[in-house]
Amino acid sequence: MQLKKAREIDETTHTGRPKIRQVTQGHRFDVELVRVTKSYNAKSKAVDDISLRIPRSSYCCLLGPSGCGKSTTLRMLAGHEEVTDGAILIQDTEITTLPPVDRGTSMMFQDYALFPHLSALDNVAFSLKVRKVSKAERDRQAREYLELVQMDHLANRLPNELSGGQQQRVALARSLITRPKVLLLDEPLSALDPFLRTRMRAELKRIQKELGITFVHVTHSQEEAMALSDIMVVMNDAKIMQAGPAREVFETPANAFVARFIGGHNVLMSEGREVSVRADACRIGAMPGMRGASGTVTMVEYKGPFVQVSMTSDTGDDLTATMTDAEYFAAAPQIGDTVAVSWDPKAEHVLS
Amino acid sequence: MMRTARGRPPSFYVLATLMIALLIFLYAPMLCVYILSFQGPDGGMSFPMTGWSTHWFEVLFAGTGGQGIGDVPNSFKRSIRLAACVSVLSTIIAVSAGMAYRRKFPGSNFVFYSAIASMVLPSIFIGFGIALTFNLLGWQVNWFTSGIGAQLTWSLPFGLLIMFIVLGRFNPAYEEAATDLGANSGQRFRMIILPIILPGVIGIFVSSITSSYEENARTQLNVGLGNTMPMEITGILTGASTPVLFAIGTLTSLAMFAIILGAVALMTVMARRRANRPDA
Amino acid sequence: MRVPPRVASWLQVAPMALVFTTMVLIPLGIITVVSFLDYDFARVFPEIYLGSWTDALTSPLTLSLYLTVFKFLLITLAITFVVGFWLAYFLVFHVESTGWRMGLLAAAAIPFWTPGPIRMVSWVPLLGKEGLVNKALMNAGITEAPLDWLLYSEFSVILAYCNLLTLAMLGPITHSMAKIPRSLIQAAQDAGAREWQIVRDVVLPLCKPGIAIGAIFIITAVLGDFFMIKIMSGGQINTPANAIATELAAFQYPPAAAKSVMLLVIVVVLITGLLRVVDIRKELQR
Repeated sequence: MQLKKAREIDETTHTGRPKIRQVTQGHRFDVELVRVTKSYNAKSKAVDDISLRIPRSSYCCLLGPSGCGKSTTLRMLAGHEEVTDGAILIQDTEITTLPPVDRGTSMMFQDYALFPHLSALDNVAFSLKVRKVSKAERDRQAREYLELVQMDHLANRLPNELSGGQQQRVALARSLITRPKVLLLDEPLSALDPFLRTRMRAELKRIQKELGITFVHVTHSQEEAMALSDIMVVMNDAKIMQAGPAREVFETPANAFVARFIGGHNVLMSEGREVSVRADACRIGAMPGMRGASGTVTMVEYKGPFVQVSMTSDTGDDLTATMTDAEYFAAAPQIGDTVAVSWDPKAEHVLS
Repeated sequence: MMRTARGRPPSFYVLATLMIALLIFLYAPMLCVYILSFQGPDGGMSFPMTGWSTHWFEVLFAGTGGQGIGDVPNSFKRSIRLAACVSVLSTIIAVSAGMAYRRKFPGSNFVFYSAIASMVLPSIFIGFGIALTFNLLGWQVNWFTSGIGAQLTWSLPFGLLIMFIVLGRFNPAYEEAATDLGANSGQRFRMIILPIILPGVIGIFVSSITSSYEENARTQLNVGLGNTMPMEITGILTGASTPVLFAIGTLTSLAMFAIILGAVALMTVMARRRANRPDA
Repeated sequence: MRVPPRVASWLQVAPMALVFTTMVLIPLGIITVVSFLDYDFARVFPEIYLGSWTDALTSPLTLSLYLTVFKFLLITLAITFVVGFWLAYFLVFHVESTGWRMGLLAAAAIPFWTPGPIRMVSWVPLLGKEGLVNKALMNAGITEAPLDWLLYSEFSVILAYCNLLTLAMLGPITHSMAKIPRSLIQAAQDAGAREWQIVRDVVLPLCKPGIAIGAIFIITAVLGDFFMIKIMSGGQINTPANAIATELAAFQYPPAAAKSVMLLVIVVVLITGLLRVVDIRKELQR
């Protein structure tokens, strides 16, 4: 299955591009974190006893608010941060204390960390140069990777002659040329403008599929994480809150934090239990057979294809309902109106 | 290279040893001076100490003993007078010029490269040039004109470079905000810019004092009647060969330490005052 | 009344421009003019005389003076660069705490608070015939008689230059090096570079501005020095700056002027070359 898939991708994407796909067989997980802890002093823990398994060839996003430990986790994977306790495995081999270069990981830095005195080509060729690969050979390979990220036409530019998006592509090529088993990306899209961000996002996903290696991508944007992830890891307060496919996380959030953080959910008390209800499952108006609440409209946001109505319920909870514009304009509640909100009891998801 | 669980790399220990060697190389001669200035009355300019005494300080202050001691107190006064004028002038001129460089203006390169030239040209050349100019114009060299001028050629370039460092890190948004809030240029300088760049300004002041007090090559031809401290010390150095030299060394070092530590203390107090403000 | 910004800048920079014009540029012009004038033992005549220049340019003494000073310059540059670079590397990449780094730099700067002439005298009790070093060597049985080349020799001149100037190299290189983002080093480590490869291919090229600034300080100090070399060599070694000082003491202004202009041209050529490597203003402002 894996092999067939790989060939398919090769055939569909190969338009004269050299073969740089990396597929390795015979291991279960690309990344395994076993009870990993990072503490700087006795009191505070940056990462607290987390375990995680990332299957082969996955796009994994570490998602969470700033200070939740996601970047520290990534830097421990890279070997730029020591692990206080626990073990890290890459493709079933323990690499907890190995130096960065021997781990089979490669990190793409948030600030790109391109060497300012070297051209794009020399930046990409750097790891081959330090391994004493001949100039002709390393230039050939570097060009190949620049081509992969569509930067071969600017190979001789210095980093400060490139735009942010171009620098990022070069940084990506430089990370990939070491043929890592796992590519680590630290908030790679945060420095780009929204338009480029969406384009680079698609590009990252394409390259990940094309190479068939695992990407671990740190982000604080749930939209980015949902768009990219095969496996999405939500972190808070040094701990993993939930890990799973994006759809699973969205449909069945593990707790109130996850439900609130990924957005589009209401967190309510229903029959003495804490539940989450998706905002698009809520309707304005009382309906028979449905659960409901009443509240005061605090904000109405028109979003084009849909309208989002925010309310404060009589019990003081924040409520949000999203509906199509047709549904909204049928009743058109205004700010300050008191309205009833209702939802199907089956839409309630019990939180732990 | 960076420390890891695997311990410090061997290069750390090699380089730490080099660092310690440099510090010994820098401190050993100084320590010899300080210790030997307390040499016993019959001791010489080398170890061993024949006893501990303040004999050589007494010789220095009495100005007796035919040691070529000359006129140390007066030279010290001249040097301090010169240093006071030069440091005040350098600070004002350099801060003002630094403010000019926040904008682009025609001629900025001319002044900047004059400053670089003034810094890198051989001091003997500058000193000679000023003396020759005064000579040809028929003016007397005098500490107040050519003396201060010669010293400014040495202190101002460093003052300007310090201003570049300070203002290069100054966020222009502060000043724009102050302008929006209705402050005029005088108020902006007094209430916004000066408090922020104050440590740098003190730095210019201190570096001007020390460079003025130490400068000799540019000053000596231009200071007019009477020696300054470096000239006096050089004179004694060639004349005397007793531990009185070390006594001068200890005292002048103490004077310098006092000036610099005073300035550092002042800066610390100001920084703390700023940090302690409730709204900071 | 509003002053246009450009005029405001002119007014602000005017005092500095005035000082440099009257105290540096005009004297520079006058020295150049005087170098072409005739003179006798007492005064300068307003008549063209090229003798000062032909003497300065053709005398074999000039060449030997410059050979001497360049020998000292190159040795000093080499030693201070090697020591300064590696210590900067130590301070930036091995010393993790900023407190320690600043503390060590300050510790290296404190001895310079002792005035220059005193620092020269301070070598006598260490390196003199009865100095500590000679005594230690003889006590250890390494030498039988005191070494006389420790003081008043080429060795002691170079020692004094290195003592004075290592910090002038260490400071600017540390400044440049501290600005290298850690992520660049980590990226190089990821790429598999060893420590020496990182130093050669990443750290060294990015420190060029600091090295250039350090070199400017050292060139200026060594080529312009006439005092230290006189004291430390016991008056035995002469350099172009020494020769100028001697002629000045004898009131031989035109030949002193010609030699000064020559020295100036050489310094300016060297510094201009280095200024191509570094934009001092940008380097300081970042």
